[in-house]
Order: sequence, then C-alpha cells, then structure tokens
Amino acid sequence: MTFQFENLAESLQGAVTYIPITLKLTLVTFVWSILIGFLIAVIRNYKVPVLSKFFGAFITIYMGLPLMVALVIYHLLFLTYYEKIALFFHISKSINEINPLIVGYIALISTNVCSYSETIRGALMSVDHTQYEAGYSIGLTKAQTFFRIILPQSVPAIVPGVINNLVGTIKGTNLVSVIGIIEVMGGAIYPCSRTYSYLEGYIAAALVYWLISFILETIFRRVEAASNRFRRQLV
Amino acid sequence: MIEITGLKKSFGDNKVLKNINLKIEAGSVVSILGPSGSGKTTLLRCINFLERADEGNFQFGDQKINLKHVSKKEILSVRRKSGFVFQNYALFPHMTVLQNVMEGLVTVRKIPKAEACKKAEDTIKWVGLADRKDYYPSQLSGGQQQRVGIARAVALNPEVILFDEPTSALDPELVGETLDVIKKVAQTGITMIIVTHEMAFAERISDKVVFMDGGVVVEEGSPRDIFVNPKEERTQKFLSRFIQKDMYYI
Repeated sequence: MTFQFENLAESLQGAVTYIPITLKLTLVTFVWSILIGFLIAVIRNYKVPVLSKFFGAFITIYMGLPLMVALVIYHLLFLTYYEKIALFFHISKSINEINPLIVGYIALISTNVCSYSETIRGALMSVDHTQYEAGYSIGLTKAQTFFRIILPQSVPAIVPGVINNLVGTIKGTNLVSVIGIIEVMGGAIYPCSRTYSYLEGYIAAALVYWLISFILETIFRRVEAASNRFRRQLV
Repeated sequence: MIEITGLKKSFGDNKVLKNINLKIEAGSVVSILGPSGSGKTTLLRCINFLERADEGNFQFGDQKINLKHVSKKEILSVRRKSGFVFQNYALFPHMTVLQNVMEGLVTVRKIPKAEACKKAEDTIKWVGLADRKDYYPSQLSGGQQQRVGIARAVALNPEVILFDEPTSALDPELVGETLDVIKKVAQTGITMIIVTHEMAFAERISDKVVFMDGGVVVEEGSPRDIFVNPKEERTQKFLSRFIQKDMYYI
C-alpha cells in the first residue's frame, strides 16, 4: 500500500464539500450549548430551589454518557417512536422527510451543555462573594448585580474554557457518522471504498478538521485577547 | 431613627445574636465595640440584610419591618437608604474609581450620566483622590481603596452609613488617612454605625458607644460613660488596656 497523492486530493475534495455540514453542526451545537449551559450555570450558582438540584443531578449523570452511546440511543428511540411523537405533536411529515441532523443536534447539544455549563459555573464561582454584597449594598437588584458586577468579572475566566470546549465540539461532530449523517469525515472516506486508500482518506479528514479548528480557535483567541484587556485589572 | 428590637440570629446551633435592642438617633455616630466573635459585624450585616436575622423588629425612619417576614421590596428599600463600607473594601475591580462611584448613581438612582459623573467626581475629590479617578482599584493602596469605598457609599446620599471594621485590613500608616475621611463623613451629619477596634477614634468621634459580647449588648452610653466609667465588669476588662493608657495622658 503506497501513499497516493491523487487519492489524498480526491479525499480532500470530498471532505471539503462537507465542511458546511460540520460547521453547521459545530455552530448550532455551540450556540445552543452555551445558551443552555449559561442558564444552568446561573441556576446552579444561585442555588435556585429544585431546579438547581435537578440540573446538578442531570449533569452528574449525563457527563458519564459517551457521545457515541447517546447518539445511537437517541437514533434508535427516534426510529422506534417517531410515529407516536409525530402524532402527539400533529406533525404530518413521514420519518423519511425528517432530517436526521435533528437527532445529531439533540445528542450533540445535550452532551456539550454539560461541559459548557461547568466551565461557566466555575468562572462564576471564581468571583469573590463580597462582590455580590458590594453590589447589593449600593442598592443594585440581584439581576443588576449579576449582569453589571459578577458577569463582567467572570468573562476572562469563561473565554479560555469555552475555546477549549469549542475545539472539543468540532472534534465531536464527526461521531454523527454513526447515525448516517455524512460530514467531513464521511466525505473524506467516501472515495476510499472504491480505491482502498483509507490512509489518505483519514489524513484528508484530519487536515480539514485541523484547518477548521485552527480558524475557529484563531477567531476566539482574538476574543480572548479582547477580554484580557480587563483581566489585567482583576488582580 | 433606627430602632432594633428583639433581634436574634443564629448560624445552625451557634446563637450569634441573642435579643439585641438598639436605638440610634438621626444624625448620630454610634460605635460598636467588642471582642472578636461578639456578633458586632453580624449585627451590622443584619441591618443591611446581607445576613437575614431570624427574629426581631426593625424600624428605619417611618418604615417598620418584621425581620422574620421581610419582603424583597423592603430589603431593597432599606439598602437604597443605607450605605455599607466593607472591611476588605469590596470595590468593583473591573471598574475605575470614577465608575465605581458612579455605578449606584446611574444604575440605581437613574441619574443622567453627565450629572452622575459630576457628582461622583465631587465626592472623589472630597475624599482626596481627584488625581486617581481613572485608576483601577488594583492600582491603589489599601487606604486609597477604602476611601473610594467610602466615596461610593457617600455619593448615594444615604440616610445611614454602616462601617464594618473599615480600618482593620490596613497597615498602621494608612489607618490615619481613612479615619480622617470617616471623620469628615461624620461632620456632614449622616447617621453612622461603626464597628471598629480603633478605641481612641471611637472615643473621639462617637455620640454613643455600644459594647457587645457573646451576642448581647453588655453596655451602652456616651464615650465618657464607656471609656471612663464603665459599669459592667466585662466592659472594664475589655477596655482595661486602653483605659490605663488613656489615664496616663490625663
């Protein structure tokens, strides 16, 4: 088996065509995970009765569930119960008309929510408790204290963790291939079944993932640099 | 003006405050003295609801509050009429001195920015930090930070300012400048409640001195009553070192 550059080129081409799918999976997952994760982090930070305990338990349990396992479980549930769900919500589409990406999103988001929310919660906890009291003492409400005093101080601690999570999210998206969604990975090895050039295919996939991670990371490092502007003050 | 009756507070089984009764006249300066763990800081924090009292009644001006069933609205209204100066300054580290002082004026009082800025600058100048208004708290000395803390409280024109050991985190050299500012605040006629270990300062500045121990008010009276003729044995013992030194000067 020799390394064929033309096979690599063919695989690269296949991988590149599916970049939009991987990007879509990554960004949709990122946005929803960070929003839901933020909400859960705030609920747990303020120890909201019932909800705080509920999400605490959810995260403890869900953190131990590998993404791959979650994907196949959701996919099976989806296949088995789609008709009942459709009936319940009065959806008239047949199962074949439903984009399997939806199952991918649900599995990716629910897994990613855990890590984003823990990152944000950790950052919120790093702000000294007297900062809340100082806010309340000048007459700020709970919400004003949170958004004007606590959150700005935790942003420099949130950003590096979120970048780390984002890279994890990108790399996690390729697992959706197990439920038949073709993305960068699938696109890269598609020609290989004909040419048996799997090494070239995997390397092509690696190169494209590396490129996507690199670009997104660079963008977010800029954000980090901007947020560091006021970390300097937080000695 | 402020009247506390039957205030009780415990942390678990530890009864920190046992039936506190205290009356504070408008415009007076009250110092609370006592050994560590006597509950003086907890009392001060209960007044500003940074700590919730278990029982008791609280009257602030004509507002009467049952401390057991206090509403969020009542808490906010008391906090908006009072200022709090923290032992560790608790300035907002992501804001400059000016922004720290402006925050309450703009966000709470809804004063237009330009006007709030002017008011904040005047207050900062008044505590002697006009040249430091664009600095961040981390660039200031402890004494300067505490003066910003005082400015932040004073700028909101509160009816009462609560000082929680305002000088005990400072090194001796910086205590003086902070005490000078506190004295200036007292001269404006704002009601002040000060928890402190600075005996000489408390004696000079106070209209009334309260001595606490073990969660109760042991003795209260004029500075002269407490420092020169303390009646209770516990007060005499606590003040013995200070009183002897003072008598030497007489």
